[in-house]
Amino acid sequence: MPLRRKFADLLALAFAAAATLFGLTWLVWILWTTLSEGAAALSPQLFTAMTPPPGETGGLLNAFYGSAVMVLLALAIGTPIGIAAGTYLAEHGRHSRLAAAAGFINDVLLSAPSIVIGLFIYELVVRPSGHFSGFAGALALAMILLPIVVRTTDEALRLVPNTMREAAFALGIPRWRVTARILYKAALSGILTGVLLGLARIAGETAPLLFTALNNQFWSASLAEPLANLPVVIFQYAMSPYDQWHALAWAGAFVLTAFVLGLNLLVRLCARGARK
Amino acid sequence: MMELMERRQLSPILAALPPKIDIRGVDFFYGKSQALKGVDLAVPANAVTAIIGPSGCGKSTLLRAINRIYELYPEQWATGEILIDGRNVLERRYSLSALRRAVGMVFQKPTPFSTSIRNNVAFALSYFERLSKAELADRIEDALRQAALWDEVKDKLNVSALSLSGGQQQRLCIARTLAVRPEIILLDEPTSALDPISTARIEELIHELRQRFTIVIVTHNMQQAARVSQRTAFFHLGELVEVGDTTQIFTNPHVPRTQDYITGRYG
Repeated sequence: MPLRRKFADLLALAFAAAATLFGLTWLVWILWTTLSEGAAALSPQLFTAMTPPPGETGGLLNAFYGSAVMVLLALAIGTPIGIAAGTYLAEHGRHSRLAAAAGFINDVLLSAPSIVIGLFIYELVVRPSGHFSGFAGALALAMILLPIVVRTTDEALRLVPNTMREAAFALGIPRWRVTARILYKAALSGILTGVLLGLARIAGETAPLLFTALNNQFWSASLAEPLANLPVVIFQYAMSPYDQWHALAWAGAFVLTAFVLGLNLLVRLCARGARK
Repeated sequence: MMELMERRQLSPILAALPPKIDIRGVDFFYGKSQALKGVDLAVPANAVTAIIGPSGCGKSTLLRAINRIYELYPEQWATGEILIDGRNVLERRYSLSALRRAVGMVFQKPTPFSTSIRNNVAFALSYFERLSKAELADRIEDALRQAALWDEVKDKLNVSALSLSGGQQQRLCIARTLAVRPEIILLDEPTSALDPISTARIEELIHELRQRFTIVIVTHNMQQAARVSQRTAFFHLGELVEVGDTTQIFTNPHVPRTQDYITGRYG
């Protein structure tokens, strides 16, 4: 009997290890390819020059700029609304049917294909205005960020024990102040983690931008015009027949991956702070 | 010994005063299950009233009815009257904020807010009163002194409250409650999560505080009830079985059920 148990234990361990190895292989492969190909294509020019026409050298400055602007604007729109909605779900509407329904719809939105959101914004903003724009892109990204922030805020607040709520309310403090001063503080790292995860997600989204911000070969600082952005540039350059464009696409992918990796490390740090 | 006897019963002067809290015919429900059945209890001012009884007898529920903290949960409700200084606080139009400012509560588990020691005490205080920086600092010191915590924390007021020991955290919760100058303090098994030394400190504290406050303490520890209270109420299955001076309840209970509980026949 002990022998059989030992054998079963060994077998389970072997399967688990093999499965882990299988999953990790692809991940490491992808990372390695991106990093090695991308690092080779890195140059100072990448951050100083505009996207070039075929056959010329250039960089990705306009794409970096456009992505940064749209992602930041999406954060500025999505975070406050998301935190407010998550607070409603976890605190004010905890026992209401409306909140339960809203939470369900939020989950649906959370898993909605991003291209659908792109199309939605296309119909809502791009068609009526007659042209693609950075603003529409930011709006589409905000729509993707929003449900992530709602869900993580909701869950972070629900993790705050009821005893803390009772202790705060027992002092006679009104709900809004308890939420703002006590509960947000207790749930801070959870909420921050959600925002950072959402940021990592929208930084690499391509599909919703195809229908909204489109792309721009040239420098443009205006949100009312089509705006260059990293994911779509990577997409176009990678599909092109030109070697120089391929190299730029690798470099862009490298920077994007490094950014998301860095964000995830930051999330880990936040989560560690929460456990303390 | 004589002093102990005096501690364990209500002085005639206090007994002659009208009750600070007058609970009349209170029923309490968690959804469909009834946790309190027609409770009538007069709580005297400036004394410690202990509520004892086996688990699930409704003793904590009664405390939670007095400051209406149960209203956080829509499936809980109370009927009847709880008069504080003659006014029914269960009426919807009675201001929750005013009620909870006058009736402080300390819970079983220490619940410091995840912020500094200073902010824990200042939190409610700065909401209710407009104070200058110096006044605020005075009031914080005052509250921490009353809770017998000042000497231990005076050099680290900006440190996180979570770094304190369990006993210190509980005294911080008491200080936080005292800071807004309540009239009544509800203690819901305040020492059940603490070690014996911390427990002794908090019991001493209760002794000192009873001169100025009306204190209701729920405890599952009968020795504690005997040590700290002047009046004791025994609850069983949601009903008030017997209430009287602590000495009388512990030495000469009138109801057999009380006798059985005191002598450890059940509970």
